[in-house]
Amino acid sequence: MNVVINPKITVDYERCTTPFDCKRCIRICPPAVFVVYDIESHRGYEVDKKQPGTYKMLPLYRDKCTGCMKCVEVCPVDALTVKMPEEMLT
Amino acid sequence: MCRMCDWLGEGQIWYKNPKLHANRMYKLREPGRKPQESLRGNIVGSNLHEALEAKANGDLATFNRLIAEKNAADARKVGAQPIPLNEAIEVIKTLQMPVAAMMCICRKATRAEEETNLNEYSCLALGTGMFKWERWPERYRGGVEFLKPQDACDWLEYWDKRGMMHLIMEEGNDFLGGICNCDYPDCNPIRQRVDYGLDQQLVKGEYICEVDFKRCNGCGECLGRCHFNALKFEVTIDRPSIDPMVCFGCALCQTACNRGAINLVPRSAYPALRNVW
Repeated sequence: MNVVINPKITVDYERCTTPFDCKRCIRICPPAVFVVYDIESHRGYEVDKKQPGTYKMLPLYRDKCTGCMKCVEVCPVDALTVKMPEEMLT
Repeated sequence: MCRMCDWLGEGQIWYKNPKLHANRMYKLREPGRKPQESLRGNIVGSNLHEALEAKANGDLATFNRLIAEKNAADARKVGAQPIPLNEAIEVIKTLQMPVAAMMCICRKATRAEEETNLNEYSCLALGTGMFKWERWPERYRGGVEFLKPQDACDWLEYWDKRGMMHLIMEEGNDFLGGICNCDYPDCNPIRQRVDYGLDQQLVKGEYICEVDFKRCNGCGECLGRCHFNALKFEVTIDRPSIDPMVCFGCALCQTACNRGAINLVPRSAYPALRNVW
């Protein structure tokens, strides 16, 4: 039962700049691995989510990743890479 | 009785007695009653990210230690608790306090869901504190909409119909902060309890759900309503079965049943469940 899943999920933040507006990977991921958060908290008002660099995406629950690559396929700017451990690929 | 009933309920279900929350919910103080002593102890920051990294890296010892630390810290606070729809409605009606609908902060993070108007909101905030929401930080950015108690109850029924369970949350020590309407995996407390064993920030409800096999005709309306993997359809007996050890008592399956075949039983009615929270 206790299978350790240790994928390397990288996000190129130079390409992925508006995750809250795009949200394709967030919505397609079956185990809901990703979360988004705002980089700076502004008291009382919301930043423009379409403005690049206001929100950031993080593969927080990456121990649930199955390596299905749906997020990589759906990313419009090719910012995501998912690399499963070698022993799982053979 | 859960730990909140011991602390706040004086032998009764804690969220049912408005007087116990009067200190801060209404900005009133009963004569001779002091503010509730802080139950919080030292606030430990969430190490969840660190714990999840350790788990992914195969360092289960660190993962277990961080989770245990978080649980020990959470055990000194009031936790969130699932409540059945009728009790959520009762809370709204009996407390007679300001009620406002607002966005869900968990869904914003986990599904990038932006709720900006009453038709999209999925969370109820309670208490006089909500009059100051505009001064408060990012939690309320989606705006809030103040509701009449009856309208708030109608919205609760709507959310229940959609399949969202009701979580009563506290804010401060003797202050009912709100009623969240959540689902797995979007809701952080649910997900972190079910997947990662944070079992103190979300406490099981005061009831469990039980199927009355005589009334049930096996139609399956309740299937898919359980967010905790407690309810399964048992093919052999052609009836759904609910694992009482896993059930959180949110009663979503009960409100889906057309035949009244699912009953709520107080957790204290069964010896083995009395201390399962």
